[in-house]
Amino acid sequence: MKTTEKMENKHEKKYLRMTLNERIQHFLLLSSFITLVITGFALKYPEAVWVIWFRKLFGENTFELRGIVHRIAAVVMVADSLYHIFYVIFSGRGRKLIIDLWFTKKDLTDVIGTMKYYIGKSDTKPKYARFSYIEKSEYWALVWGTVVMTVTGVFLWFNNFFLPIISSFGMEISTAIHFYEAILASLSIVVWHFYFVIYNPDVYPLNRTFITGYMTREEMEHEHPLELEEIDKMEEEMKSETEEESIKKDAKSVSAEPESKTTEEKKI
Amino acid sequence: MKNPLIRKSTRLLIISLLFLAVIISALFTYQRTKAKGTDDCLVCHEDKDLVMEVNGKKISLFVNGKEFKKSMHGAIECTDCHQNYKAEEFPHNPKKQEIDCKACHDNVKSEPGNVHNNVKCYSCHSAHNVKSAKELSKNQTDNCLGCHKSKNVQSFKTSIHDKKNVKCSDCHQGGHSVKKITKSESMNSCGKCHAKDQKDFSNSVHQVVLRQGNSKAPTCIDCHGSHKVNSSKIDIESQGCLKCHLDEKMFPGDGKGSTKFISEYKTSIHSIIQKNGKQAAGCTDCHGNHMIQQNDPSRPSTTKSKIFETCGKCHGDLVEKFKGSMHGQEMLKGNDKAPTCATCHGEHNIKSVSLSDEFSKINQVDLCLKCHQEQKLPHKNYKGEDVLISNYKDSYHYIALKNGKNAATCSDCHGSHEMKKVDDPDAKINRKNIPKTCGQSGCHTKQLNDFTGSIHETSLTQKNSPDAPNCSSCHGNHQIAKKDDVNNRIASSKGLVQLCSDCHNSVEMTQKYNIPTGRTDSYLNSFHGLAVRGGSKVAANCESCHGYHNIRPSSDSLSTISKKNLPETCGKCHPGAEQTLFNTKIHITDSLSESPMLYWITRIYIILIVLTIGGMALHNILDLIKKGKKKNKQNENNGEDGK
Repeated sequence: MKTTEKMENKHEKKYLRMTLNERIQHFLLLSSFITLVITGFALKYPEAVWVIWFRKLFGENTFELRGIVHRIAAVVMVADSLYHIFYVIFSGRGRKLIIDLWFTKKDLTDVIGTMKYYIGKSDTKPKYARFSYIEKSEYWALVWGTVVMTVTGVFLWFNNFFLPIISSFGMEISTAIHFYEAILASLSIVVWHFYFVIYNPDVYPLNRTFITGYMTREEMEHEHPLELEEIDKMEEEMKSETEEESIKKDAKSVSAEPESKTTEEKKI
Repeated sequence: MKNPLIRKSTRLLIISLLFLAVIISALFTYQRTKAKGTDDCLVCHEDKDLVMEVNGKKISLFVNGKEFKKSMHGAIECTDCHQNYKAEEFPHNPKKQEIDCKACHDNVKSEPGNVHNNVKCYSCHSAHNVKSAKELSKNQTDNCLGCHKSKNVQSFKTSIHDKKNVKCSDCHQGGHSVKKITKSESMNSCGKCHAKDQKDFSNSVHQVVLRQGNSKAPTCIDCHGSHKVNSSKIDIESQGCLKCHLDEKMFPGDGKGSTKFISEYKTSIHSIIQKNGKQAAGCTDCHGNHMIQQNDPSRPSTTKSKIFETCGKCHGDLVEKFKGSMHGQEMLKGNDKAPTCATCHGEHNIKSVSLSDEFSKINQVDLCLKCHQEQKLPHKNYKGEDVLISNYKDSYHYIALKNGKNAATCSDCHGSHEMKKVDDPDAKINRKNIPKTCGQSGCHTKQLNDFTGSIHETSLTQKNSPDAPNCSSCHGNHQIAKKDDVNNRIASSKGLVQLCSDCHNSVEMTQKYNIPTGRTDSYLNSFHGLAVRGGSKVAANCESCHGYHNIRPSSDSLSTISKKNLPETCGKCHPGAEQTLFNTKIHITDSLSESPMLYWITRIYIILIVLTIGGMALHNILDLIKKGKKKNKQNENNGEDGK
C-alpha cells in the first residue's frame, strides 16, 4: 500500500499508515481485547486485589456483570474479526495488507540480520518493508489466537449445546486451552506489542499512529526504511509524470479513503 | 309297814310335796295379788290419750302395760317406784316425786368423771320398758343418738365406724363411766385401734406443734371429724387441711407455708381432684397423711432427698427417667444446685405440661435459661457453653417459636426428664443420636430419611466414626439459622464449600479416613469453583452435585454422582448434560494419569509461553540496549560535528 500521503502543513512529511477504517478495526480490537483480558482474568483470579475492587465498585452482581461484559466484548471482537476477513477479501487495500503481511524469505534474513545487528556483529540494521517480521508475527499470532479463543470460547459459552457433542473431556480441554491461550496472547501484547508502540524509546510515550493514522518521515526511516525508499522512488516518478495530479491529490488528502482508491488505481 | 326306812322316806316325800304345793300356791297367790295392783293402774294408764297438764304443758301418762310386764321390772309394782302415790287421788301425788332407782340398785355407782352423772337412769334404761345393760348395748348407738341430736354426733350414723360396728362406748366408754374425749385425748383414744397411725402422727409436725402448746394444732378429730370419721381423701383435705392452711390468720405472709403459697394449689393441675374428682395428687399424696413431717431436710416427703419417692408414687416412669438424667444424677450425688421436680414444675402451682401456657415451648426456654445462662451454672465442659446456650435465642428455632410457629425448644432436643450429657451414648444429643433427635416425628423427618444411608450417616452410626458429621456439624446446634439466613454458614456457596473443606481438605481427616485429597483445590480451580469464589450465586457448589443429606459415594447406585445418575445431576443446571458422555473425572487431581491429554496440552502451552514470551522479552532487551548504544554514539557524533 502506498501510504504515500505527504502532508506539508508542517515542514515534516506525514505518511498514512492506517486508514480510518483500519483504525476503527484496531480500536474495536484493542478495546474488546483489553476488556476480554480484564473480565477473563477476573474470573480466574477472583481474590486478586483489583478483582476485589471491582466487586466493591459493582456490588454483589459483579460476577454476573463480568460474564455479560466478557461475552459482549467477545462478540465485538469476533464481529471485528469477521469484518476484517471480509475486508481483506473484498477490498484492495485489505488484499494488499495480507500480501504485505505474508512471510517471505526476506523475513528470515531480516531476523538473522537484526540479531547480528543487536549483538554488534553487523553495523546496519536490515531495512524493513511495510511490515517487519515482528509485526507479521504479531498479526498471525493474533489470527491464531482469535481463532483458538473464539472456538474454545464458543464451546464454553454454549456449554449446554456442546456438552453432548464434545463430551466432558472436550470441555475440560477447551477450558484449559482458553486459559493458556489467554495468558499467551495477553503476555504477547504486553511484552511485544506494547514494547514497540509504547516503551520503545523511539516512540515513547506512545506511538500515536493508531489514533492519527499517520507516521512521520523520521518514524518511517526508523521503522520502515525500505517502504520509505519505495515511496520516495514512486513519488519522484509521479512528480515527473504529472505535476497537476499530485496537486489534486494534495487537495483531496483530507479523506484517506478516496485517496487509497486513487493510489490503488494508479498501481494498477 | 315292812320297812321303816321306806315308810319314813315316803312320808318325807309326801311332806315335801305338800310343802312345795303350799309354796307354789302361796307364790301364785302373791303373784295374782301383785298383778292385780299393776293392772289396777293400767286400767287407766293404758289409755293412750291419758294426759296430765303441768304448767300448761300436756304430759302423756300412757304406759305400755305389755312391754312393762315383759321388761326387767315386769315383776314389781308400779308403786315400788312411784312411792307415796294415792290411787284414789288425782294427781296421785301432788308433789313432784323423783324416782329413786338407787333404792333398789344401790350397787350402781357413778364413776368419777362420768359425764352422765346428771343423766337420769331412765334416760338410757327407759322408764317402764326397762332394759338391762346387755340389752342396751345391742342398740347402743340408737340409744345414745336418741339424746345426742347434734348434727355432729348424728353424723356418726353415716360414718365408717358405724358401718364397722364401732360403738359409742368404744371411744367414750360405756355403762356408768361415760367420758368426754378432749382433743388431746383423742389420739390415745383413736390409737387404741389405730396404733400405727398414732405412731406416725406422733412424729408429725402437727404433733410437735401441739406439744409446744399450740392448741390450734390438729389432732385426729380435726381432720377426720369426731363422729363423722372421714376417711375420704377429698373431704379430709378440703375440710381438714385447707380449713387451717387457707386461714390467713394462721398462716400469714407470702413465704413457704403461707396461705398464699398453699393457695397456689388451687391453680395446679393436681387440684382437678377437688374440682371434678379425677385421680390427682391431693395434699396427703405428697405430704403424707399422719406422718406429715417437719421441714427437716432429712425427713419430709417433699425434700430433695425424698422427692423422687414422693412424685414417683404417681409419676414413676418419669422419675426413673429423671434419675438417669444429668439433673437426676447430680441430685443423687447431693448437688444443691441440681434441679428437682419442683424446680421446673413448681410446688403447689404444678401445671399441666400439655395444657398450661407455663410449659409452652417458648416459655420452656425461659425456664431452662433461668439457670443455664450468664454463668449461673458452672459448666465444666468448656468455657463457651453458656454463650452457646444463650445463642439459642438467636436461632431460627426460637424466632419461629416467637412467631407462633411450632419449632424445637430445649426439651425437644435434650429431652425433658431424660436429659443427658452429650457424651452419654443414650443422650438425645449424643452425636450418634442427633439425626434421630432432629428427625423425630413432627420435625425433620424427611431430612432424616434422606440422611439415612448416606455415607456420613453410615460412618456415624455403623462405623462409629468419632468425626463423621451429624446434623449439627453442618447446621450448628443452638444458634441454628434459617436456610437463607446470612448467619447460616451453609446459606452461601462460599460458606458451604468452606464447611465441606473443613474436613475434606483437612490433612488430619484425609489421612485418618483415607479421604481422596485435592478435591477442594480441583473444585476451587474449576469454572464452578472460580465462579463461586467470584461471587456467583448460581454456580454449582459441593451440594449441587453431591446432594446434602443423602451424600453417597459414586460407587453407590443411589448416589447423585454415580455414573448412571451423573447426567441427571448435571442436567439440573445443564440441560445438555443429559446426553453427555462423562468420559473424564470431574475432580482431576493428577492430570498425567487421570487425563494425559489435558496434561500434555497444559505442558506444551507452558513451554510455548515460556519460550515465546521469553524470546520476545530477550528481543526487547537487545533492541533496547542497541538503541541505547546508538543514542550515545549519536550524541557523541553530534558533539563532534557541532550540528
